[in-house]
Amino acid sequence: MRQLTEAETKTLFEKLATYCGKGISNLITDSASGDRYVFRLQKDRVYYVREKLANLATSVHRDNLLSLGTCLGKFTKTGKFRLHITALPIIAPHSRFKIWVKSNGEMPFMYGGNVLKAHVGRWTEDIPEHQGVVVLSMNDTPLGFGVSARSTAEARRLDPTGIVAFRQADVGEYLREEDTLFTT
Amino acid sequence: MAPTKSPKGSSKGKAKSAGVRQSKKSTGSAPAGISKRKQKSLALAKPGGAQKTKSKSLSSSSTTKKKRVYTEKELDIPKLNGIVPAGIVKPKGQKKGKKFVDDPESLIAIMSVVNAEKEGRIESKIMRARQLEEVREAKRKEAEKRGEEKAAKFEDTKKGLKKRRKSKHEDVEDVDNEAPAEKPKKQRKRVSFG
Repeated sequence: MRQLTEAETKTLFEKLATYCGKGISNLITDSASGDRYVFRLQKDRVYYVREKLANLATSVHRDNLLSLGTCLGKFTKTGKFRLHITALPIIAPHSRFKIWVKSNGEMPFMYGGNVLKAHVGRWTEDIPEHQGVVVLSMNDTPLGFGVSARSTAEARRLDPTGIVAFRQADVGEYLREEDTLFTT
Repeated sequence: MAPTKSPKGSSKGKAKSAGVRQSKKSTGSAPAGISKRKQKSLALAKPGGAQKTKSKSLSSSSTTKKKRVYTEKELDIPKLNGIVPAGIVKPKGQKKGKKFVDDPESLIAIMSVVNAEKEGRIESKIMRARQLEEVREAKRKEAEKRGEEKAAKFEDTKKGLKKRRKSKHEDVEDVDNEAPAEKPKKQRKRVSFG
């Protein structure tokens, strides 16, 4: 387990910024609970951990440390960062662009499908094309996140079967990817 | 096999004979107190006198070569010709290894840079989308207007044609009507069901 380097931090923040907007600054300076949170790299995964916990975890051997805090995602071998569904509770409160899915679209989305126009209950205005969006149910429960397929204006003219957002991660992965989600 | 053996033997014999001759000559010049064995060795060494000189020259050249060892600075090789490319050379005095970021100030600094970049990109995307939307809207309106105009024109021509046809009919009727002056109109038969 180690801290992130400058380049790694930049890559991580760039990815977070696609979903969060300005809200991510709260991740570092969130002092509501009085605890400071830090980012730690264990093998190739990045964890968002309370600093005290991170300091305690230094006493565990690297090979024996499986996970700590909340896993945000992992660095690929090409140096890019891939967000995992486990990051959803951290991203969702600070997200800038949102799509609310009607109850008839919840299951198709959680089974790994893209968000269709017919399933959209409402969406944030002015979503540009290929922008990170958080998908929520109509009662504001975060279901996952994805990338907008079209801008809001274009999506309005779309037919009901047209794709509005491409799925990146959904809460169904907790079951579908159970074997690989937490293995390092 | 035979031809190879024969020249070998002949050469040996020649060498032997030469050695004997030389030894005979040397015995004449050498001092009397030297044993036969030493004499022989001396005699053998004599023709190799040239060899001695050779070794001397070798040693002298090696000493001169040692003196001519230049350092790289002395050689004045242009930097482009060097083996190490300029890009790979690491600046001196810099710390080796990874540079970790953990303090909140530097994290916030990185975040603000990233945020500004992203914000700019998103804004430009939104602006472009809006402009495109405006252009599209204008085009749509223009197309609608054109369509309406076309439809109006079509209606006009239709009406014109109808009028013309009507007027022609009226003319014909007038001509017909002129001859039988004002006939009482016939009542059409009507059929009603129920």
